[in-house]
Amino acid sequence: MNEIEYLLAAILVMAISTYLTRLTPFLMFTPGKENAKLNFVAKNTPPMVMMILVIYMLKEVDYLSTEIFYTLFALAVTVGLQILKRNALLSIVSGTIVYMFFVQM
Amino acid sequence: MIKTALKTSLPILFGFIPLGIAFGLLFQELNYPWYFASLMGIIVYAGAAQFMAIGLLAAGVGLVEIAMSTFLLNSRHMFYGIAFLESFGNWNLRKLYMIFGLTDETYALMTSINIPKGFDKKKYFFFITLFAQIYWVLGCTIGALSSEILSFNTEGMEFAATALFVVLLIEQWIMVKRLLPFMIGFIASFIALMFFIDHMLIVAIIISIGSILIFRLVNKSHDE
Repeated sequence: MNEIEYLLAAILVMAISTYLTRLTPFLMFTPGKENAKLNFVAKNTPPMVMMILVIYMLKEVDYLSTEIFYTLFALAVTVGLQILKRNALLSIVSGTIVYMFFVQM
Repeated sequence: MIKTALKTSLPILFGFIPLGIAFGLLFQELNYPWYFASLMGIIVYAGAAQFMAIGLLAAGVGLVEIAMSTFLLNSRHMFYGIAFLESFGNWNLRKLYMIFGLTDETYALMTSINIPKGFDKKKYFFFITLFAQIYWVLGCTIGALSSEILSFNTEGMEFAATALFVVLLIEQWIMVKRLLPFMIGFIASFIALMFFIDHMLIVAIIISIGSILIFRLVNKSHDE
């Protein structure tokens, strides 16, 4: 197997693995069959996952350096704007610009 | 509808373009032709797994190990589809594609938005999924094509992904307005961080779903 063949095989294997994880629930469950437990999980998973994803994204922040200050500041801008204006794009772009400004200073 | 879907998907653009560029830049270090980075964006389409793959490919690890690491890293996606069992509609190519495109970002966005009146949910979700993947492939391609220094300093742009999830967390709060799932997610995250930092996401999701089911069980027995 030469290098390109190895890469192609690896990409294919990754594609299949990834697709399988995403496909699993659709194969395991039939929709709408009055499965109260499943509906309960479906309804409650998004808020839990969102909380987990936010913490996951912030887990690398070094809270002993100045990084914590500008991260908190950028977060405050994002949260504040989102609560006030409910415009996702505006909140994300503003928070990111603030963050980039401090990182690149 | 396509226009609205495009507008709704824009927050993902700001997360995916810089992240894709970062991936493309790293991919260059493997010294493969640039279009393989695009190919990965097209047929694998998994942010974290693609980053991990760079290390695995550089080390030349075996295909079985690549398959298993990818599966483990993406295992959290097994819980995402549950939210869309009905809304993705009947089995057809479109549904197969929407399942393929179910990333952290599309899941987060599509569970947090209201569908405008008169829109076909399936089609609306399809276009959001499609646009999101286009952004990702674009990012990967730009990163893999650009020489070492981009004319524009992208440092810190990765914060857009964090900001996207924060915004969607707020939207979830506005939709759900019950403290319990947020508390569970919060506590589960810290437990996972303390004991399973390498597999934090999947462990936190399993703990969360397990805990909320226990709460449901306890509440039910109270009612009876």
